Amino acid sequence: MGNVNVNIDGKKLRVREGVTILEAAEANGIKIPTLCHIKDQVPTGICRVCVVELERSRTLVGSCHTPVSEGMVIHTHSPKVTAVRRVIVELMLTAHTGDCVNDTNAENCVLHNLASDYEVGAPRFNVKVPRFYPAEDSNPYVRRNLSKCILCRKCVRVCASIPGKNILSVGYRGFRSKIVAGFDEALLSEKCRDCGKCIEHCPTGALSAPVKV
Amino acid sequence: MTKETSSITSGRAELLPALKRELKKNGCLTREIMDTVAGRSGLPLNEIYGVATFYAYLPLAPLGQYVIKVCRCLPCDMKDAQAVIGGIKQELGIAPGETTADGKFSLELVNCIGACDQAPAMLINAKLYGNLTPQRIVEILKSY
Ligand code: SF4
Ligand code: FES
Repeated sequence: MGNVNVNIDGKKLRVREGVTILEAAEANGIKIPTLCHIKDQVPTGICRVCVVELERSRTLVGSCHTPVSEGMVIHTHSPKVTAVRRVIVELMLTAHTGDCVNDTNAENCVLHNLASDYEVGAPRFNVKVPRFYPAEDSNPYVRRNLSKCILCRKCVRVCASIPGKNILSVGYRGFRSKIVAGFDEALLSEKCRDCGKCIEHCPTGALSAPVKV
Repeated sequence: MTKETSSITSGRAELLPALKRELKKNGCLTREIMDTVAGRSGLPLNEIYGVATFYAYLPLAPLGQYVIKVCRCLPCDMKDAQAVIGGIKQELGIAPGETTADGKFSLELVNCIGACDQAPAMLINAKLYGNLTPQRIVEILKSY
């Protein structure tokens, strides 16, 4: 494959054909926020925070799953992009229940940091039934607090990429969607060991290393 | 594709037909049944559970003789499906997800049943009832 010419945020770049807009931007020092993206895995395009403005495209496009092509003119932080990202984060915060200060290392929460970078503030939307799940401390390797989960599915995908694992899936539907282990039960320690991959990838405080007492 | 991923892919393609067969045989999908399907298909239990809980048509527990499925999608909701659900609750004394003590009726809320033109709508087993009102509910249920 050859190279193509693209323009990202006014920078004229020559990048390898077939890479995504996100990869081209990152390789050239332009940062685009992501929540569901896992480097070198097939993109899923779930979270939408990576959207960018592509000239002559009717809609914003997800940069993590859109390959570059010749002549693209892309804006990664235009006012339109910023406004849309702000609403996307606001929607995610709406279903992200609970107090960040008490229960999570908020400074490690990518969503929390995005919310403060984009000055999102308290979400305007009301929910009929809050998405609340009691935190689960039974597993010695992973603490789960699914009220914080934004369903980015990274944990599902990294776990599935470990031979013989694949112990997480998405259960239920719509607003009730939830990451489930087994028959929607506590993470069993014989199945889940100490690899820590899901914790490393989780962009929120939903998965964390248990605090040793 | 590695051997593991290719068997998972074919297990996935086969999963819904397999679950439908089990449902026909057993009336619902219990944990034991899902464990058996998992063993046969090579898929993990969590994935089978995820698929089963996605579909309202794959029940996890035995249902009554007549299963009432009220649509809870937007058009029905806007045409006051809540009043319909309230009417059924009052008539049968069961909430969504429950079955009457005599095992005759189960009440479920489901996603779009394709009858938006007759909203609010519901199914009783395979029969469609549209343009529902709480009054009509009483008549319909009496006919069973
Ligand atoms: S638990 Fe974390 S990694 Fe898994 S889906 Fe939720 S937010 Fe994403
Ligand atoms: S990072 Fe692109 S859609 Fe989530």
